[in-house]
Amino acid sequence: MIGKSHLSMKGVLLSGGTGSRLRPITHTGPKQLVPVANKPVLEYAIEDLKEAGITEIGVILGHKGREEIQDLLGDGSEYGVEITYIVQGNPLGLAHAAGCAKDFVGDDDFVMYLGDNILKQGVVDLVESFESGDHGAGIALQEVDNPQQFGIADVDSAGNVTELIEKPDEPPTNLALIGMYVFSPAVFDAIERLEPSWRGELEITDAIQTLLEDGYAIDSHVVEGWWKDTGKPEDILEANQLVLEDKSLRKEGTIESDATVDGRIELHETATVEDGAVVRGPVSIAEKTVIKSGTYVGPYTSVGANSTLDGVHIENSVVIGDSIIEASGRIVDSLLGKGANVGSADEFLPEGRRLIVGENSQLKL
Amino acid sequence: MQIITHACTKCGTIVSANELESNRVMKCPGLGCQNVVRFDDLPADDREHFIENRERYDI
Repeated sequence: MIGKSHLSMKGVLLSGGTGSRLRPITHTGPKQLVPVANKPVLEYAIEDLKEAGITEIGVILGHKGREEIQDLLGDGSEYGVEITYIVQGNPLGLAHAAGCAKDFVGDDDFVMYLGDNILKQGVVDLVESFESGDHGAGIALQEVDNPQQFGIADVDSAGNVTELIEKPDEPPTNLALIGMYVFSPAVFDAIERLEPSWRGELEITDAIQTLLEDGYAIDSHVVEGWWKDTGKPEDILEANQLVLEDKSLRKEGTIESDATVDGRIELHETATVEDGAVVRGPVSIAEKTVIKSGTYVGPYTSVGANSTLDGVHIENSVVIGDSIIEASGRIVDSLLGKGANVGSADEFLPEGRRLIVGENSQLKL
Repeated sequence: MQIITHACTKCGTIVSANELESNRVMKCPGLGCQNVVRFDDLPADDREHFIENRERYDI
């Protein structure tokens, strides 16, 4: 095995991509800023890296959402980290993104974290597992029921990766790569020797395979808790459920005396649940949002800032913010973009629903 | 594949060669940075390599 020299650990947080599967939500912003339990997905990644003792973070930017991401994260000081921005431009693959971070990383090891992923356990165990031996890389794996649809790792009894196979017909294991990696700087030499794949990208699995062929030990760490890639609307809803289920929620806002509030509620100090409203947790309600009389907010719902809910029944949904929802019907399993308003058509003739719907919207009426 | 980048001398934002080449001259993408970055800021060898292999840096 070839050894590695360990100085310190940096983080490389991938925040590019078009977010096409999350349209229309991502027509006006990057997918990494879609909130889960009223917090942008990207902030969970920053917190996970910090929890692992990683405070120097390179944020990879694509074409979309550069300003919004920089506007949110700034120089990182609000999060207790130091951020360097790295503009990848064309989406030439994960290995290209890593390669763009070479000067930032220098001679250090680094965690590469996909900014639209969220996982229960964070990356502390992944980093500790990598650091426990002399590894060229470490990969996070999770057991899946359909390994034919994933990149799969074969591992030996010591947990070292012996082979990576993309979407195998006959998978040797059910251990799928989930998009969290630790690399030694040796990966940059491997990336330099890569050729673009059939889809024109530098593949990170090819870089890891090259490290294997060069004689480096590749560590594996099986993630036991949940993990979500939040690339699609249903993933956002599921991630919202998982985070609300686990998160410590604080009830700091105003609950009027004749409101009914059960279960665990996160209520911002400037939010209000008015008389006659019912809220059943787990629920998160952000700043300056008002839940009015006759409204029911059911489990696994997050309502973003500056919103008003009046008379609606809503559950298992994410309202990103700046919304007015006044319809008397039931809204379930829904993702409402920023500034989306839902009113009642009860008083209008002819009877019927009235829609102003943007490109790529999905409605079930 | 050689990956070429340039760091803004004012704010440290790192910009890939494909981004620099597609714009040639651009305001640094670092938020609030007023510096101008150019493809010509790259060393001559890097520029030559990029131009000779430009199709590999396009998606």
